[in-house]
Amino acid sequence: MRKFWDFLQLAGQSILHRRMRSWLTVIGVFIGITAVVGLMSIGYSFDKTIKEQVSGVFGVDTFIVMDESTFGPGAHNGGGATEYALDLDLLKSIEGVKVAAAVRERTGFVQGQPKADGTVLQGFLPVSGLSPELMTEFESFTGKLEVLPGGRLFEPGDIDVAVLDFEISQRLGVTVGDTILVAGDGDAELNLTIIGIMAPPEAAKEDSGSGFGMQFSGGSDGDTISVPYETMDLLWGPADDVLITLVRTEPNYNVDEVADAAEKALNDRGSEISAITYTDISETIGTMTGIISAFLAGIAGISLLVGAVGVMNTMFTSVLERTKEIGVMKAVGAKNSHIWTIFLIESGLMGLVGGIVGSAAGVGLSSLGILLINRLTTGFEVVSVINPLLIIETLFGSFLLGAVAGLWPAWRASKLPVVDALRYE
Amino acid sequence: MALLDMKGLTKNYQLGKVIVRALRGLDLQIDKGEIVAVMGPSGSGKSTLMHILGALDVPTEGKAFINGKDLQQLKEAELVVLRGQTVGFVFQTFSLIPTLSAQRNVELPMIFQGVGKKERAKKASALLAGVGLADRTHHKPNELSGGERQRVAIARALANDPEIILADEPTGNLDSESGEAVLSLLKGLAKKDGKTVILVTHDPEAAEIADRIIRLRDGCIDTRKPKGSLNREGESYA
Repeated sequence: MRKFWDFLQLAGQSILHRRMRSWLTVIGVFIGITAVVGLMSIGYSFDKTIKEQVSGVFGVDTFIVMDESTFGPGAHNGGGATEYALDLDLLKSIEGVKVAAAVRERTGFVQGQPKADGTVLQGFLPVSGLSPELMTEFESFTGKLEVLPGGRLFEPGDIDVAVLDFEISQRLGVTVGDTILVAGDGDAELNLTIIGIMAPPEAAKEDSGSGFGMQFSGGSDGDTISVPYETMDLLWGPADDVLITLVRTEPNYNVDEVADAAEKALNDRGSEISAITYTDISETIGTMTGIISAFLAGIAGISLLVGAVGVMNTMFTSVLERTKEIGVMKAVGAKNSHIWTIFLIESGLMGLVGGIVGSAAGVGLSSLGILLINRLTTGFEVVSVINPLLIIETLFGSFLLGAVAGLWPAWRASKLPVVDALRYE
Repeated sequence: MALLDMKGLTKNYQLGKVIVRALRGLDLQIDKGEIVAVMGPSGSGKSTLMHILGALDVPTEGKAFINGKDLQQLKEAELVVLRGQTVGFVFQTFSLIPTLSAQRNVELPMIFQGVGKKERAKKASALLAGVGLADRTHHKPNELSGGERQRVAIARALANDPEIILADEPTGNLDSESGEAVLSLLKGLAKKDGKTVILVTHDPEAAEIADRIIRLRDGCIDTRKPKGSLNREGESYA
């Protein structure tokens, strides 16, 4: 170990002696490291930002139930959720489940009020069934749902009521207190009293928060008729058309365990669903950002390879021009392993200096890149995060890169026969 | 047994397809405290002999004992230890490490022997003072004159307190004044400190400090009487 410090000094002095060439070599390494650290830091910042946003929506006690093909490995993700069958009461009865709220959707025949001239507007429109708890318990998912003054949203126990999107209320010519007719399967049909009109998009948007809330069909724009979840049963029977279910667990229950239990119970009952917790989503995001980061870093890695070849070239030149010096060192008692170590440290040091400069520049590059991304995009603020582990790994890795690039030249130096080396001019 | 004992020393080199017979059955004994000058024309085998005397190389045939150790029986690593501890080299071109100060150059052999930092520094300073360079310790080789560089090289050769100093043309690149200073230093090492000094040289003046002159010719010791001024009393032809 004592010798190591001496060799480190010898190697350092040799690098400083060939300042120009050493710096040029270091620049080769540093460009590669800058690219790798910069791109990976951007990837890491994205990962962190997205996960934080998702965890803000989810909290630690919530999971969602979706069709099993919608999320996870092999998900088609073609666009929006796939409908699935659900026994909401069974879900609510599972141990650890505190609240469960679901959304189901159908297209139904809807008829408005007769107008002054006697015409009645009617047609097939999307009808959404919403659990009342959706508005009270899961605002972080739905965003703030607002109705125009004079109206209200659903409350537990509501049956023969409906909340209309602003646009469709205008087209149907109805307002709070009026009734509309909605027809379901077979002979089922209900006269529903309108209890609220959704605030039009412009008014709602101002307070919609992060913008990461999930968009439901029963949102604030479009032509959806929203009714209480139970009302859907009366019109279309048991739910086989659920888009999404949100579940909050009781305190002191592990959300992942409850989600697993729920998934099993529901699938045993014939549903084909996945219960997705924050852990699942976070893993999926991690995999995605990880793949993107690795891909980018891989491309940047090519420039690192070029840097390594530069180190190797410099070291070979160094060995050649110091042949006599190597001979002298061996004559005064240096072992082959000593020569090998000195040259290896020397090339490793060049890598390390490239790593230090490159890490600093890479962090700068990533901050600049994120600043630019935030400038160019709206509604999504990426927070620039520096991953200390990445920096440590980079520094270690860059020393290793230099050392590996120097392996062959150092081996050549150590194997020089002392007599030949001394004769070398 | 003599400190250096060479018996039937033969060394062949392969140079391309040609075999060069550098030494051809040479016998030589050198005792402790002796100053021996090895002389001879180019190609006579001086350098090859010096490499073997310094444990840098092993003979093809014959026996080479340094301090009682048979070179042919030693592994590469043991040869390194032997020369690191027993032999100090002084080269014609000084061969100092250009990136290191005089002080660090003198410390170098001690670094390879694993001598501690403080001890090393103390000894190097003392050695440099001994060769009259106490005030030049922090100068790099390119800031020193030729004579000063060669004195640094002598200090370096003494770093591990070796019994044998091997000097290859130590005055070859020096003016006469510096050369004399270097020679008197080498003489002092033998006479005061009891070191064995072997000079490989072309320079008749350098050879004058020697107790004994060995003349090589075609890889053998030349036993013919030399001509000219070097023929003086006390010279032995081995």
